[in-house]
Amino acid sequence: MISVIAQLLAAFVGALGFALIFGMRRRYLFAASMGALLGWGVYLLVEWLLGSTFLPSLAAAAFALTYSEIMAKALKTPATLFVIPAIIPLVPGGSLFYTMSFAVHGDLENARLYGTKTGECALAIAAGISIVLAFRELRTKRQ
Amino acid sequence: MELTHYDQYVLLDCMLEMGELLLDCGAEITRVEDTLSRMGKAYGANRVDVFVIPSLVSITLNFPETTPVTETKRITSTGSTDFYRMEKLNALSRECSREPLPLDELRARLDHVAAGHKPFAVVFWGSVLGGGGFAVFFGGSLWDGLAGAVFGAGICLLQYALGRTQLNVVASNLIVSLLAGLAIGITANLIPGLQMDKIMIGDIMLMIPGLAMTNALRNMLVGNTISGTMRLAESLIWAAALAGGFMVALAVVDRIFGGGLPV
Repeated sequence: MISVIAQLLAAFVGALGFALIFGMRRRYLFAASMGALLGWGVYLLVEWLLGSTFLPSLAAAAFALTYSEIMAKALKTPATLFVIPAIIPLVPGGSLFYTMSFAVHGDLENARLYGTKTGECALAIAAGISIVLAFRELRTKRQ
Repeated sequence: MELTHYDQYVLLDCMLEMGELLLDCGAEITRVEDTLSRMGKAYGANRVDVFVIPSLVSITLNFPETTPVTETKRITSTGSTDFYRMEKLNALSRECSREPLPLDELRARLDHVAAGHKPFAVVFWGSVLGGGGFAVFFGGSLWDGLAGAVFGAGICLLQYALGRTQLNVVASNLIVSLLAGLAIGITANLIPGLQMDKIMIGDIMLMIPGLAMTNALRNMLVGNTISGTMRLAESLIWAAALAGGFMVALAVVDRIFGGGLPV
């Protein structure tokens, strides 16, 4: 439980850092960083319910995009501002590193394992984003 | 608003500038095309053809009862994501579509946006928080977080210094990741208790072209296949440069300290 809280807080801090790097204004910082915290919460919840890495990443990415669209409407600003910080914790930086590390050490079997995991995460994020975009398209075209 | 033929060219010039600024601050292609089309319509064009890819903006304006005017602009800068500018441009375009600004005022406003950047101090502290936060996020201790924050600051300063030399992104990513990897590897091996892998992951997160990839995908999904593939290829090459730098650093650190697997 403590590690879950630590992860959520770290996701918040990391996303806050990214929002600052991209030059976000102060009034949006909290909303943007909350997106990362909640998004990671969705990831952990789905992981706990269903296991695997693909589905949690997909669900969290879809959540992050929906959250961003809602916040963008509420605060009257482009959704991109919120999408990026919210998706950042899902980026498979960890598995990318271990892929490289194993490859350098000549352990190709593990490198392949982590490499696949990295690709899987990236694909899941893409799928999550496309699902939300497809639904949005459907909604705006019907109006 | 009635525009003379000369004014139509002035407007085109302003629109190209707007397009370049939007691309430079990291706006998606669709947003750039939408913004420019709406702007042209607001100034009285009955047809606006806009074509944008990451390296080119082309606009043709058709005003009633005159010949169409067209111009293109080659975009060479890659720019860094800048929400500060993006928001200003967004506000400006909204204002224009509500009530077209006089052309000299539009030009002045664009120059004003072009002159202002996000403050460097904010980027610096952002890198500190980002590097530290993600080192902890991926399972590091608070000490690892602290180290990640310090190296995040170093990476930010190095990127800033390299940015001034106008080096291309691949080369600068390679240099930054190699130096960061070496510095982190050596420090973590000398100070007991620090976990090299967690610190490196935290700082890798700072450099992964996550935004470029997400934008690439979003571009493709909304039908901008050319721009999407361009951006995707570009960001994959950047990521490869990043991985290359860190892998060389890992191999060197391994030679020096003869370490086992860091997992």
